[in-house]
Amino acid sequence: MANVGDTLESKSISVTQDLINEYAHICGDYNTLHVDVEGMKDHPLFGGTIAHGTINVEPVLQALCAIQKTTWPLEGTMINLQFRAPVKPGDTIASKLTVKDTKSEGGKTVLVCDLAIANDKGTDCVKGNAEIPLP
Amino acid sequence: MTQLEELFKKDLVTNFGPDKMLPDLKFAEMEPGWDCGGGTYTITKEEVEKFAKLMGDSNTGEVNIPIGMIYIFGLRICWDRKVFIDQAVRAGDRITFFKPAKIGDTITTKLSIADKKEVQKEKDGKVRVNKFLFINMNATNQDGDKITDVQMSFLLPRTMQ
Repeated sequence: MANVGDTLESKSISVTQDLINEYAHICGDYNTLHVDVEGMKDHPLFGGTIAHGTINVEPVLQALCAIQKTTWPLEGTMINLQFRAPVKPGDTIASKLTVKDTKSEGGKTVLVCDLAIANDKGTDCVKGNAEIPLP
Repeated sequence: MTQLEELFKKDLVTNFGPDKMLPDLKFAEMEPGWDCGGGTYTITKEEVEKFAKLMGDSNTGEVNIPIGMIYIFGLRICWDRKVFIDQAVRAGDRITFFKPAKIGDTITTKLSIADKKEVQKEKDGKVRVNKFLFINMNATNQDGDKITDVQMSFLLPRTMQ
């Protein structure tokens, strides 16, 4: 049982342009932001390609399952995300979930958490919150 | 075509929806409830194993599929239905999870406009108006059970009128 202030299990992935390209192939999202390596070099905001937002979220999706010891988030699990900074090829990103409150719903304990996905330079690329029912 | 492209080839997904696509609309015409269309697909074991390997996910689908797969199929439908406007930047997501998805399930994903907002931002003495669009992406299985509800928000490109 986690307590307020506890940090929950984390998952991480290393993002490369190859991974972004393969992801684009399978989801069909060829937005130039993700795959146009040459064209994005001069982009005023990013200065290079950035990962699909859904790649950024992958560590927290895997972490939810690890925390709940399941292969699919329990019914009622909710995450709310804001993308704050781009994830770029070369970044390793990891989930950070910190318990800020607990509540009881339907006879289950629900962890109310602050959520972040940070890169290896210490930047929180994604911030948000999560409600995680425990089994 | 790479092995993964072949595996996830487009004919695995059946798309449906109005002829008019989102980028055909002006911002003023983007009204909540507007039907962006959607698609259906059946999840195979081969796809799940390939996806798990790509993402380093230890879940290879023996019980439930990796959650990210719902996202990835949804993304492909979004792209096919032109919900992703080129140069639009993803601002955030709100995801609620319901029933798990399994290998062999046929998933239907529907997309619609949830909301839009114009936000004024002042920087260096200049006032800019940022335009945001919110899209609902709802996935259900062959029995009509909810799988996930996702609400995606996008910062639209400045060229969007």
